[in-house]
Amino acid sequence: MVKPDDIIHQPLRLRIMAALSAGNGTGQEFDFARLKSVTQASDGNLGAHIETLERANYIEIERGYRGRRPRMLVRATPQGLRAYKEHVAFLRSIIESGELP
Amino acid sequence: MSIDVRSAQASLAEIDTVVARLKQSSFYRAASILMVVWGVLVAAGYIACAVLANRAFGIWLIVDGLGIAATLATGLYYRRVGVAFDWRIVVAVLLFFAFGAACSWMGHFGPRELSAFWPILFMFGYALAGLWLGRAFILVGVGVALLIFAGYLWIDRGFELYLAAVDGGGLVIAGLWMRRA
Repeated sequence: MVKPDDIIHQPLRLRIMAALSAGNGTGQEFDFARLKSVTQASDGNLGAHIETLERANYIEIERGYRGRRPRMLVRATPQGLRAYKEHVAFLRSIIESGELP
Repeated sequence: MSIDVRSAQASLAEIDTVVARLKQSSFYRAASILMVVWGVLVAAGYIACAVLANRAFGIWLIVDGLGIAATLATGLYYRRVGVAFDWRIVVAVLLFFAFGAACSWMGHFGPRELSAFWPILFMFGYALAGLWLGRAFILVGVGVALLIFAGYLWIDRGFELYLAAVDGGGLVIAGLWMRRA
């Protein structure tokens, strides 16, 4: 049976992974501003949870510049995509079984 | 970790919300590019008409042709990079053109009425689309349409230049604003 993922289950991290995992199952790349808009998080909160996901090797971050402005690109790693998919499958299995794990 | 049914449902609902927001954001991005392109073209069209009033028909033929080509190119680009682009938008634009052409022909409008009618028609289209696509479209559509109508009533000389600023400029500003949404 699939298991819950403690790291992904936190609401904001779940939203981050949901955004990064969207697309054709291969994930999407986001800059910080767009990720903030899609997840409706504050700068500090988003930054902290991005760090947690990066430490877990669920996402990778590319820091650079666009013109003179610093730019941070965030994308899910294959490991992160897999973990997210398994966590969603776990959530669905909970609802289908209708019982506590 | 213990997750009950209610918590699992809440998490899946959270995911659905993010996916819906993402779809709207992707759509706004594609639409914003088109708004900026159309805004620049339309502003150029009005300025050209202000200078060469007797060539208005040819000018708008070129402007509309370029705009439709840009709309198709944007659709193809977004499809290539894997973002869904609703081709019904292109059909809707063509239907609006057909409706506008029919009204212009039957209404026997003068040049001033024609200049005001076309952008107002398309702004109503934006407002209508906004009922499904998001409030930003309603605000842009109704706001710019009202400004054009006010110009039609109260601005006599330089009406074409006013339209370049309000219609073209309005679309560019709205497009840039939507890009941040």
